[in-house]
Amino acid sequence: MSQKKYWQSFGEVNDSENFQKKQQDEFREELPFEGFDDKGLIDAKAPRRDFLKYLGFSTAAATLAASCKVPVRKVIPYANKPENLMPGVAKYYATTYVQDGDVVPVVAKVRDGRPIKIEGNELCSFTGGGTSARTQASVLDLYDSHRLRFPIHKTGSGKEAKYEEVPTFEQFDKLVGEAIKNAGGTTVLLTSTIVSPSTKEIIAAFPGLKHVQADAVSYSGMLLANEACGFGRKLPSYDFGAAKVIVSLGADFLGTWLSPVENAKGYATGRKIDEKNPSMSKHYQFESYLSLTGASADERFTHRPSEEGAVALELLNALTGEASTRPGIKKVAEDLKANNGAALVVSGSNDKNVQVIVNAINNAIGAYGKTIDWSKPVNYRQGIDSDFAQLLSDMEAGTVGSLLVYGANPAYTSTDAARFTAALGKVKVKVSFSERMDETTELCDFILPNHHYLESWGDAEPKAGAVSFLQPTIYPLFKTRPYQTSLLYWAGNNTDYDVYFKNYWVAKLGGEDAFNKVLQDGIKEDAAVAASAGSYSAAAVAEAVAAIGAAKKSTGTEVVLYQKTSIGTGTGATNPWLQELPDAISKATWDNYALIGLGMAKTLLGLDLVNGSEKESNNYEYFPQKPVIKLTVGKNEVELPVLVIPGMDANTIAVAVGYGRSINLGRTAAGVGKNVYPFSSYNGSTVIYHADVTAADAKKKEKIAQTQIHNSYEERIEVVRETTLATLKKYPTVIPDYRTHLESTFGKSKDGTTTDFRKEGTLYPQHDQPGIKWGMNIDMNACYGCGACVVACHAENNVPVVGKSEVLRYHDMHWLRIDRYFVSDEKDPNQLKGVVFQPMLCQHCDNAPCENVCPVAATNHSSEGINQMTYNRCIGTRYCANNCPFKVRRFNWADYTGADSFPNNQDQELVGKLDPVVFQMNDDLTRMVLNPDVTVRSRGVIEKCSFCFQRLQAAKLEAKKQDRPLKDGDAKTACQSACAANAIVFGNVHDSSSAIAKTRKENANRGFYVLEQLHVLPNVSYLAKVRNTDELIEPDTHNAAVAAEEKAGSTEKKAEEAHH
Amino acid sequence: MVDGSKDYHQVTEDICRPVEATPSRLWWIGFLISVALLIFGIVSVTMEVMYGTGQWNLNKTIGWGWDITNFVWWVGIGHAGTLISAILLLFRQGWRTGVNRAAEAMTIFAVMCAGQFPIWHMGRVWNAFFVLPYPNTRGPLWVNFNSPLLWDVFAISTYFTVSLLFWYSGLLPDLATLRDRAKQKWRKHFYGVAAFGWTGSTKHWQRHEALSLVLAGLSTPLVLSVHTIVSFDFATSIVPGWHTTIFPPYFVAGAIFSGFAMVQTLLVVTRKVLGLEEYITLEHIEVMNKVIVLTGSIVGIAYLTELFMAWYSAVSYEEFAFFQNRLNLNSPYGWSYWLMMGCNVLSPQIFWFRKMRRNLFVTFFMSILVNIGMWFERFVIIVTSVYRDYLPSSWSTYYSPTIWEVGFYMGTFGLFFTCYFLFSKFFPVIALAEIKHILKKNGRSFKDHMDELEGESTDEFSGRHGHDHGA
Repeated sequence: MSQKKYWQSFGEVNDSENFQKKQQDEFREELPFEGFDDKGLIDAKAPRRDFLKYLGFSTAAATLAASCKVPVRKVIPYANKPENLMPGVAKYYATTYVQDGDVVPVVAKVRDGRPIKIEGNELCSFTGGGTSARTQASVLDLYDSHRLRFPIHKTGSGKEAKYEEVPTFEQFDKLVGEAIKNAGGTTVLLTSTIVSPSTKEIIAAFPGLKHVQADAVSYSGMLLANEACGFGRKLPSYDFGAAKVIVSLGADFLGTWLSPVENAKGYATGRKIDEKNPSMSKHYQFESYLSLTGASADERFTHRPSEEGAVALELLNALTGEASTRPGIKKVAEDLKANNGAALVVSGSNDKNVQVIVNAINNAIGAYGKTIDWSKPVNYRQGIDSDFAQLLSDMEAGTVGSLLVYGANPAYTSTDAARFTAALGKVKVKVSFSERMDETTELCDFILPNHHYLESWGDAEPKAGAVSFLQPTIYPLFKTRPYQTSLLYWAGNNTDYDVYFKNYWVAKLGGEDAFNKVLQDGIKEDAAVAASAGSYSAAAVAEAVAAIGAAKKSTGTEVVLYQKTSIGTGTGATNPWLQELPDAISKATWDNYALIGLGMAKTLLGLDLVNGSEKESNNYEYFPQKPVIKLTVGKNEVELPVLVIPGMDANTIAVAVGYGRSINLGRTAAGVGKNVYPFSSYNGSTVIYHADVTAADAKKKEKIAQTQIHNSYEERIEVVRETTLATLKKYPTVIPDYRTHLESTFGKSKDGTTTDFRKEGTLYPQHDQPGIKWGMNIDMNACYGCGACVVACHAENNVPVVGKSEVLRYHDMHWLRIDRYFVSDEKDPNQLKGVVFQPMLCQHCDNAPCENVCPVAATNHSSEGINQMTYNRCIGTRYCANNCPFKVRRFNWADYTGADSFPNNQDQELVGKLDPVVFQMNDDLTRMVLNPDVTVRSRGVIEKCSFCFQRLQAAKLEAKKQDRPLKDGDAKTACQSACAANAIVFGNVHDSSSAIAKTRKENANRGFYVLEQLHVLPNVSYLAKVRNTDELIEPDTHNAAVAAEEKAGSTEKKAEEAHH
Repeated sequence: MVDGSKDYHQVTEDICRPVEATPSRLWWIGFLISVALLIFGIVSVTMEVMYGTGQWNLNKTIGWGWDITNFVWWVGIGHAGTLISAILLLFRQGWRTGVNRAAEAMTIFAVMCAGQFPIWHMGRVWNAFFVLPYPNTRGPLWVNFNSPLLWDVFAISTYFTVSLLFWYSGLLPDLATLRDRAKQKWRKHFYGVAAFGWTGSTKHWQRHEALSLVLAGLSTPLVLSVHTIVSFDFATSIVPGWHTTIFPPYFVAGAIFSGFAMVQTLLVVTRKVLGLEEYITLEHIEVMNKVIVLTGSIVGIAYLTELFMAWYSAVSYEEFAFFQNRLNLNSPYGWSYWLMMGCNVLSPQIFWFRKMRRNLFVTFFMSILVNIGMWFERFVIIVTSVYRDYLPSSWSTYYSPTIWEVGFYMGTFGLFFTCYFLFSKFFPVIALAEIKHILKKNGRSFKDHMDELEGESTDEFSGRHGHDHGA
């Protein structure tokens, strides 16, 4: 009995042996040490281990104390937890990505009140949940620190201009209201295409308001041509999936033309191959430069940009049997005729006459009502160039008193920006609703920034009978207001737009419940109606034929302007993810440049990449410094570095628009590329995006930041499998023959009776995979290289942006990249046979070469077949990256994310100076886009694709909570869900009913693994790229022979066995 | 192997003189240049640690460049010392005594330099201790014994430890000599402590000899194993051009080759600067040049074998690595392969001529050339293999170092020579005790007297020497 005076329990006062023992072990938790006996560390038998222990501890402690002072950031818990909000649990809201007429119904993932990721809305019938790179990147625009933050009143002009905040919206309304009243003249609202029905109603209700729509890259030619052909001033819906023959006359319909997501979805369905009966749509492309769409074409024909009319006309004539000397025309015409009613011709021309001819072709081949549907005209582009031209002359005449600008940016995009600027000077009241200080907004007196779409209410009607809704996913970050509210107020209707919008739709839908339903779904589509052929009239054809015949023929060099999938007309220029997205064709980031063909490189620069010395071509290829040429169109001169690519028309130079932006747009857009909009011209009816050009060697060099420099896959069939449809039909096993060869050569068991390459091809033991095994399949035939997956990966996995200077040093951090290989004719490198896009990401090898070389086991294998990266364990030896045959591992060369605990380690000025964009991505506002489920890596560690591990874990957890096994489709990777072409399939390969297992089984004749001969056993499989041509590629005789022998041997053996 | 008329005292005087005298102007100049280089290196490494590995021009395809090239190069140089000391000791090659001390010191300094690279090339060097298998609270988290980098950790640290012991135990009697001759108090104290109480008793000598043999026995396999293991960094990988089974012997031969070249560079200078021409003689130089031409030729055969195997294996990726990335002079790095071939294989053939072997200028020039060639050998292996490997999409832009990569390399020269200058100032650069061992056998003054003795008849000789016990 102890003599304790104060005690808590009987055990304590009695002090039994049992109690003492319990007390001693109260918080005992066994550490998984091996080799220690139960006595604990202090009493361990081997005291020298103690020495090591103290040594280890003191070293670690000293290191910690010396260098790694982790900054303390306070976390404040909710005092009152908002309803329906669980910290750490994502919510999804249907909304709509709207940008200058582009409409993509989306679902925004919101974590703790912040939208962080955009997914496609799968309820939408025409996008099917697909997205584009720009849609994926749009969430970053929300957190752009260069957004305008409050209403501004500009006083003074030029250098003395002062931008002052207007403290309240009331004051702003009063200021502008009075100014408009005093200005007199007409009030004009200048916008890009407006797709919102409620907004259109507001505009219509504004007394005396004239509405002019002007698109940065115009589709007036098509609108006018359709009007002339009796369809009305409209654009039809195109069904690329229904077309067996697709002919594009310079239309980049997968990249930028009208609605690429919708087009791509249809296109991909026609390009996927059913192995039992191999067939696919045939895609012909006539164009002047190698476009993203042209890259996917089965057969390409190039021509001068000025010949677009002649090509269309010759094709029309060929349909009636007229001969043509132009290559391809006869063949294409025959193919079109043979597929009457299942063919489609589209043209990217903005010339009304060309589009009239294209309409005549489509009429002749029975496309109307089949592949072209007039029952659902689309609203993506509505601007008419002559309307803008009229506005411009009105402004110059001084009859425009007030100009309200939303979406349009003519001070940058118009053919003659100086003229617009001068004309704008004559307008008394200039109001801009722009989210950013763009070139036109700079010139305006009153600036009332609009909400970002993720902060907005709204509606968008991409096509007749389909309305997609916007709902805010976050409270407005800044003092901004929807432009519709301003229009309502200034028209005297004192309602806010959100109220107006709700009333509008409640009335239309007949009740609040129906309204809530469409908001939740995000999209409301009318019941499907039969496709309509419209009412074609050939009246305008004769005039168009005459106009095309009379057109001036060019003989010199021409320049053609195009859009990149990333930057578009220039709206993507402020987005770091889009600037860092390598262009599909050139693989260049952060720049525009002059694309020229191999022939022009020789004549213009003396750079002979065909017959020149190896040294010459290596000097061009292995150094980022590229020769600069000076382009002169009229008075406009631009100097641009060149990139030489195959598949260009011999006389054409192609340059992307959207670059060379104003410094006021922020740190991302400033100083990137040159503006080439001045090369476009207005022909009195529409804007033309090509011109005669004088090109001259500027005798200097500039650096272009490419992420891939070598263009050929060097016939390495272990890396890329591509073939033709004819070959695949004749030799169905041409691709799996290689695998059969490996099986029979290296997969034989010791007694020679069985073959198992996986088991026999290695010294290592097999990984045990008891449960789920994740696998991915990528259909290279469906992939067209748009880059939506690359941006989705950026957003999902907090992949850092490194800026041009670091991309130049080959330090780009993409976890997922799209390797692009040109397949050229052996004899003529300029003659492009095809382009292969191979999305390349960590292959999650079951026998991963990166895993066994890491000295600290920082990268290892999960039981589910995932190659994992343990960032806190990584010490950065980069051995794994060296030993990765796919080169998908990325090292944090500098502190790109600001996640490091070293202070001031981003201020290096001498070597590897970081670009301003890195700091932009690191500011507190922009960091709100980070996905809290994914670690932000500090510098000095390797990172790579994780198969979106966080999503897999979340899916498993959800299944567990619902007490059910994981279903196929529960877990989707970010790249998979972003893809408009459904090229990526992902899932559990052990589940034989899963999409991935089926895809692999059903496509056995196209399936392959990259570098299979290394026996690294990747978990990502690919389906070979197939070009729909008649070319017959004889298979590698060695593999075929071995495979045939093997087959014969096995049948013999079977026969023998049967005999016994 | 010792010229001039030397007796034991004279030898002591000659070798201790540089240690006891005030340092010469030349010494100061050399020392200060070395320290300046060392500071440059420290700045370079600081930059790299502070701002990240992006301070070097390595990239997503080329994960290792100058860093690991320098590592392998320095490790290679660190081979000659132990080889001379241990293997030649076991083979009873008397001539080694003139050069072994300096060579061993060189080994230790070279391994110190080499060690810098794998340490500082880490992205997060403050976590470098993760590579040590120490008990920790992370449970089953342990080092990866499959990784050749981990083998490096053990191989290099073992080699360094044994080399250091070997060198220091050899120094003990000489330190005692210096202690006994010391006049200043600090010298007495310094050498007193350093000599570990050496008294020169027979027991001491006996133990010393035994220890030398044991350490020599330990070092011998190490000489072979260290570079073998370093070569595993490459040989066990799957990169074409790295994945080569010939690497272990080829690396060892290359290491000896470069090590001897470095010894030549240093000795040609040291004997001049410290006036030790009579101890480091032309004979030494010639013998070492013979080793250079031998190992250079072995390395040459290894190069040719690699080429043959690349063709014979019919592995297209390996063929590409050897014939396109290296042999093709027009390829971006073709020049480095031919520079390596010229320096390592062709130029040493000059040593088939005796006159050239004994020409100091040629020897010095060749030793520099060989070291350049051997540096490029490692550069060729590392960079020209990875910059264009399996996926053509990932082929890299041209890699050239930044100022900090060059600075780090220069810094290790600074470290090496700073150590070497301090060593030559405070320790005898020639093994005093050991050279006395062989003085009567190999000393010129004794050899010359032998003619007279040998002229004598046996009776005369035994009559005179029958009762004494030598001079």
